[in-house]
Formats: sequence, structure tokens, C-alpha cells
Amino acid sequence: MRIKKADPVLAEVDMTPMIDIVFQLIAFFMVISNFEQTQADERVRLPEDVLAQPPTVKPAHELVLNVGFVRDPDHGIPEQGPVVFYNAEFCRITDTDSPSEVLIYNRSTGANVTRKTVPFAYRLEQEKRLFFDRGVNPAEEVTVIVRADTHVPTGLVQKLIQMAQEPFTGSDGTSQGGFAKFALKAEQSAVSRAFQTRSP
Amino acid sequence: MQFRNQKKPEKIEPQMAPMIDVVFLLLIFFMLTLKIISPEGDFNINMPAVAQAQTETPKLLPDFKVRLLADAATGQLIEVRFGQRSLGNGPQAFQLLQQTIKEQIAGSPYADEVEIEIDADFDLNYEHVISAVSACTGEISPSSDGGKPKISRFVEKIKFAPPRQSQRAAVGG
Repeated sequence: MRIKKADPVLAEVDMTPMIDIVFQLIAFFMVISNFEQTQADERVRLPEDVLAQPPTVKPAHELVLNVGFVRDPDHGIPEQGPVVFYNAEFCRITDTDSPSEVLIYNRSTGANVTRKTVPFAYRLEQEKRLFFDRGVNPAEEVTVIVRADTHVPTGLVQKLIQMAQEPFTGSDGTSQGGFAKFALKAEQSAVSRAFQTRSP
Repeated sequence: MQFRNQKKPEKIEPQMAPMIDVVFLLLIFFMLTLKIISPEGDFNINMPAVAQAQTETPKLLPDFKVRLLADAATGQLIEVRFGQRSLGNGPQAFQLLQQTIKEQIAGSPYADEVEIEIDADFDLNYEHVISAVSACTGEISPSSDGGKPKISRFVEKIKFAPPRQSQRAAVGG
């Protein structure tokens, strides 16, 4: 007996709705992800506060100083005290002339590595001169943003501010005033975020 | 003009598969690069150099002094003092500080001139300083109509007293 065979119909999947949704997702992630160059350092755990509001006007010139700890894997606060993370360097606030050492925990080998620190006074002086050479007055136009860890002793932050205030000798040989505007960074706490999301 | 052998316009089927491949790749790229960062805010403090500060005209109101005492070993807060008055410690102390400053400022015509000097022990954990600065600068309260929370500012001018000596035996710093 002959059975009439139907042509095997290839089920054509309609791709259009899926592509629509995928494009939407891409657009969402593109908008959400920010490639903004921030000098934030994830090793610094900022204190939380309700009143910490993101600045409405971004300062024209800013210098971000990250003060934090080289934490060990147990996330304790190490004995060696806080350091300033300056680019790839580790700087100590209290160092004056001779560099000291800092122990860095190496995750892959599980051992500590010793790195030399740089006295931070040098770097601050460099920053002041750099601003000055670019025609920016450090005393009036630059805001120093202090991002200090929750557990940093207050005295060190104050010392850092004092060092930043110190006058320096510009490239033309005149004495110039140091930084005068400071901003202390804090993370917006959950409470204030909840307040903000509630608002329309 | 009519041609006999005119072909029907052929429907071109676009190749979807490569496009979908690329689109998925893009999607995964953006998903992986996404970093969720909680927003950061800042407190402005204005600290001109000492030489300039001395030439200032005498102020109408004396500075408010906030003293923060710390345990030298742990850096924990022991006591908050406003002037000579002790406000205890913990979060309540900062609330009390906020209320006290609010009362002092309220109705004063010179409220804009008031400066607050924060004098903290060397070893005090930095988070308490942020709390103190926050308590001095203002308060946040949900608005009555459920809209945006209101932030009322008390004092804009915050400064630090010169740092004290560390009481801790061996601080790395």
C-alpha cells in the first residue's frame, strides 16, 4: 500500500522577538555599565553615611587620595598600618626621608612579598608642582578628595591634610600655597539609598 | 514594458545566525563588564593654610568644639563632647550632637558664620569622624508627602583641630 508521504516541513523558528529582546538587553547593559575613569580604589572600604550625597557639581581639578590597608586574606586589619595607594605604589604618610617596607600577601603563592614604600610627602609635592606647571593654582582650583578606610586612625588623615596644605616651591622659584579645599568621601548608606529610590 | 521572461523578485533571506552570534557575544561582554558600585558622596571641609587663617577678621560667634575621645588600642569611640558637655558614645551620641547643634543654630542670625572644630584623638577610627561631620552638617528626614527626602543643612564650615599625638605604643602608619 502506498502511503502518501507529506513533505517533511522544516519548522522555521521566528527569530524576530528573540533578537528584539536581546537588543534590549544589550542596550540596558550598555547604559548601565560605566566606563568612567574613576580613581576609586576597591581596597579602601569607605565609611557609610546617610548624609553622603554625590556632589552636584564636579570640581574642575581634583586629586584623589586613597588611604587604606593591605588586608590579609582573613580580612583583618594588619599590624603594619595604613598606606596610601598612589598609582601602583604604596606610600606611607609618616615616612619622612627613608622609605620603609610593606608586606603584600600574594594570593597565588600564599606567601608575603615585601615592597618598598615611598614617603608620601614627595608624591604630594610632585602633585602640587604638576598642577602648578599646568597653570592650575593648587590653593584655589584643586579639590583634594580623601578616600580613607573605615579603620584608618583619624590622626593620619589629619596629617595627610596637613601635608597637603603645606606650601611648596613652584618651578619659577616662588613659594606657593598648598591645597586648601578638601572633601571627605563616604559611601551612601542603605538608608539614604532607600530614601532616594522611593522618590519618583 | 513587459518582458516575457521577467523573473519574480526573489525574496532574500538574510542570514540570521552570524548576527545572533555576535549579538550574544556583545550581550555577554556587557554583562561581564558590569560592575555594581554603590554611589559615593562627599563632605566638603575648607581648611586654608594657617598663615591665611590668622589674618581673618574676628568672628562674631565662637567656634563650636566637638571633642571625640577614643580608646587608644582599638580606635573605638569612648565619648563625644560638645564644648564641655558629654554626650556619651555610640550612635545616640551623634544623634544628640545633631539635636544640640540644631538647637544652637535655630533662630540665630549668625547661623552661617558658625564654624565647628572637630578635635579627635589620633587613634580614633575614621568612620566616627565621618559620623561626627555628618551630624554637624545636617540631617535627613523623609518629607511629609512621601516625596524626596529633605536634607536640612546646619553648618557648612567644618574644620579639624591640629592632630594629637598617638597614644598607641607601636603604630605603623
